[in-house]
Amino acid sequence: MPVWARWGVALLCLVGVWELAAHVWQVTHVPSDGDWAAARKVVEGKLKPTDLVLFAPGWSEPLGREHFGDRIASIERMARPDESRFLRAIEVSMRGATRGEIAGWPVIESERIGPFTVRIAENPHPVPVKDDLVTRVQPERMTLARVDGEAVSECAWTRSQVQSGGLGAGPAVPEYRFMCPSGGFAGVTVMSPSDYSARRCIYVPPAGGATVMRLTFRDVAFGKILTGHHTIYVEADYAGNHGTPVVLAFSSRGQSLGKFTRRDGQGWTPFETDTRDLDGQTADLVAEVSSGSAHRRVYCFEASTR
Amino acid sequence: MNESFKPRDHLFGLALAGGYVMWLLRTARTLGFARDEGFYFRAASDYARWFSLLFSEPMRAVQQASIDPIWTSNHEHPALMKSLFALSWMFLHEKHHVFTDASTAFRFPGMLMSGLAVYVTYLFAARLFSVRAGIVAGALLALMPNVFYHAHLACFDAPIMAMWAACIYVYWRSVVRGGLGSAILAGVMFGLTLETKHNAWILPAVFVPHALIVLWPKLREPLRQGILPIPANLLAMATIGPLVFYTLWPWIWNDTIPRLQEYVNFHVHHEYYNMEFLGKNYYGPPSPPLYAPIMIAATVPAITLVLFAGGFLASLRAVLTRLRDLIVSEWRRVPPRANGAEAELLLLLAFVMPLAPFFLPKTPIFGGTKHWMTAYPFLAVFAGKAFEVAARWLEHLLAHRPARMQKLAFAGFSIAVLAAPVAVTAHSHPFGLSAYTPLVGGTAGGADLGLNRQFWGFTTQSLAPYFERAPRNASVFIHDTAWDSWARMLDERRLRPDLRAVGAPHDAMYSIVHHELHMAEVDYAAWVAYGHVAPDFVLTHDGVPIVSVYKR
Repeated sequence: MPVWARWGVALLCLVGVWELAAHVWQVTHVPSDGDWAAARKVVEGKLKPTDLVLFAPGWSEPLGREHFGDRIASIERMARPDESRFLRAIEVSMRGATRGEIAGWPVIESERIGPFTVRIAENPHPVPVKDDLVTRVQPERMTLARVDGEAVSECAWTRSQVQSGGLGAGPAVPEYRFMCPSGGFAGVTVMSPSDYSARRCIYVPPAGGATVMRLTFRDVAFGKILTGHHTIYVEADYAGNHGTPVVLAFSSRGQSLGKFTRRDGQGWTPFETDTRDLDGQTADLVAEVSSGSAHRRVYCFEASTR
Repeated sequence: MNESFKPRDHLFGLALAGGYVMWLLRTARTLGFARDEGFYFRAASDYARWFSLLFSEPMRAVQQASIDPIWTSNHEHPALMKSLFALSWMFLHEKHHVFTDASTAFRFPGMLMSGLAVYVTYLFAARLFSVRAGIVAGALLALMPNVFYHAHLACFDAPIMAMWAACIYVYWRSVVRGGLGSAILAGVMFGLTLETKHNAWILPAVFVPHALIVLWPKLREPLRQGILPIPANLLAMATIGPLVFYTLWPWIWNDTIPRLQEYVNFHVHHEYYNMEFLGKNYYGPPSPPLYAPIMIAATVPAITLVLFAGGFLASLRAVLTRLRDLIVSEWRRVPPRANGAEAELLLLLAFVMPLAPFFLPKTPIFGGTKHWMTAYPFLAVFAGKAFEVAARWLEHLLAHRPARMQKLAFAGFSIAVLAAPVAVTAHSHPFGLSAYTPLVGGTAGGADLGLNRQFWGFTTQSLAPYFERAPRNASVFIHDTAWDSWARMLDERRLRPDLRAVGAPHDAMYSIVHHELHMAEVDYAAWVAYGHVAPDFVLTHDGVPIVSVYKR
């Protein structure tokens, strides 16, 4: 028998007992509904409209949405384009987790509530929004036209059945949307880009060929920049760059503000253009979406003036 | 080799296996139906019609016109298990009413196969090392959460685990005993394993190298004379095996070659499924090389893994020593024995070969641990070996102490080894695929690591208490639940039978979302359909979201 045999037996006993003890600890230290309610109460007391709310680790977010409700865990916060517009973030953390999105934001307040730590972090470089195009998708503030060469068809604002499905169905087509007589639509949905994050955006699939989907946003308040993101639904976003690129072109008062090409495999792609010439002014903003092919171009974008 | 193994020692293994099957039966009602079970329930129901015809009009049953309309159902997998599901349903549910639930009758052959896996694992370890090694090996196989989950199902993964181990056991016994009878039995067993699932086609990679090494002294001389002698057991497997495969699968009785080609093509060009690993969604090859090792570490109890490591390394050392003998030509002095290191070489090959494909660049990672579950009986045998070594150390250490103290110490040691696997496995039910072991922090630790939460939508039934308060005839978008699985849950009143399944969130009063990384789009579709992001209810396991329910 080797001299270390006794240690071998002891080690096995130790591993077995440790595993049992760890299991008991892990299954009994789970946040209760009461813990979630207590955390919600604290967050409600601290929350400002310009705050972001985050749940850490990310997998706890469905529980956060369930317990905090739509007013706190709002769609604007849960399906945000990015974090830059928020002045502060309130992070509801358990298991010592933190969200990467706010890494580097200085924590100005931290409070322990049962199994949770509620932290308030300040955005070191906030870029407040002047006008958010996603909020303008309504008939009073936007029009949609399908442009086929010389022919321009206006698209009507409609209320129809939501179109949704299971895996592979793509983003839901919203209840309220612009519908074009010869095909095509635009409306606000929540898209899943290749990182599977939730992104609220204007769903406007290009019609293919030379056809342009023209969105005209009325009386947009301009700032120094026009910034945004665009993407293609994850299952249509071939990493091998097989799909036809989608082009998003902005203009105002007949002047081009920038043209952004979304190629496959780029995820939630940011873009930004300088609008200092229009800073402080109000004018119509035209966004034109086109692609050589409509095949699997399940496309959406969001943009805001800052 | 445990020379003291007696025929009555089979009773320990049979008791262990029987106890396991009873446990599976007792817990079957609380486990919802997986996607694939829905497909196999339907296929088995179809095949049952053919068996009825076979029993009443055998001549008509074997005609192509009778075979093709029925056996086309789910013809991408061979017939053995689905035939057993069908026969079990016909006799144990429809005719003799042994099982109240039709699903339990469908599942019963899979449970028996799981019992067989435990029994064969016991036999291997008991014959090679000791009865107590066998008992611990069988128990540790049974006490793996993923194995316990799959062992319930009317699917093929637990059965192929059992048949893989059983086929290797029968082959080994044919090597030990020799003779035509055991060779023929090996051939039949190989055919039955081929008929269970396509993993069996890897078995020659276990048998051929093993046979070459064990039989090398006998082969050397004929090879010099240009003769290739093929051992009787391998010959039987190469001939009887395919014959059994053909005979038991009516689908390939006609148009055999094109249908076999279709079978091969289906599996060679199998579509890829999504699988999350370390927070990233994989949709096709290459498989990350760490996938199998990390998933094993995260799903097999740590004590089992520590024991396995000890047993595996000891066996590897013994095998390498023997191979060195071969290389330095001392083989003649110490001729190969079927029961020594050569048997442990067989265990090593049986463990390594199911895992090997997951290190190849073209293997996708869908299916999680179930695709290499065939390695687990041998993982457990190595663990049993280490347990036996440690138990002997303990006996030696306490040799001068009173017998009562020795017994108490052994009992304490056994409890220390088995308690955590019992607790972890029992607690994992009915969330076996969501559960991770304490080593990685349990279910929440698995979620932290970004490991797959579930697949097959098997957790739907766990929402039954929630749906008790739904309005009558409420419509439910059932997401990843297969339609046949949903229908059977309603038939058996596992869910309220007035609930109506629909295919899209916008058509439903309730939408369920099974949490998997690539399913996130379904979550978002529900947000848009209902105009809110807050679920009405989140089903959890140890605080980790498994299914969200949205209400219109």
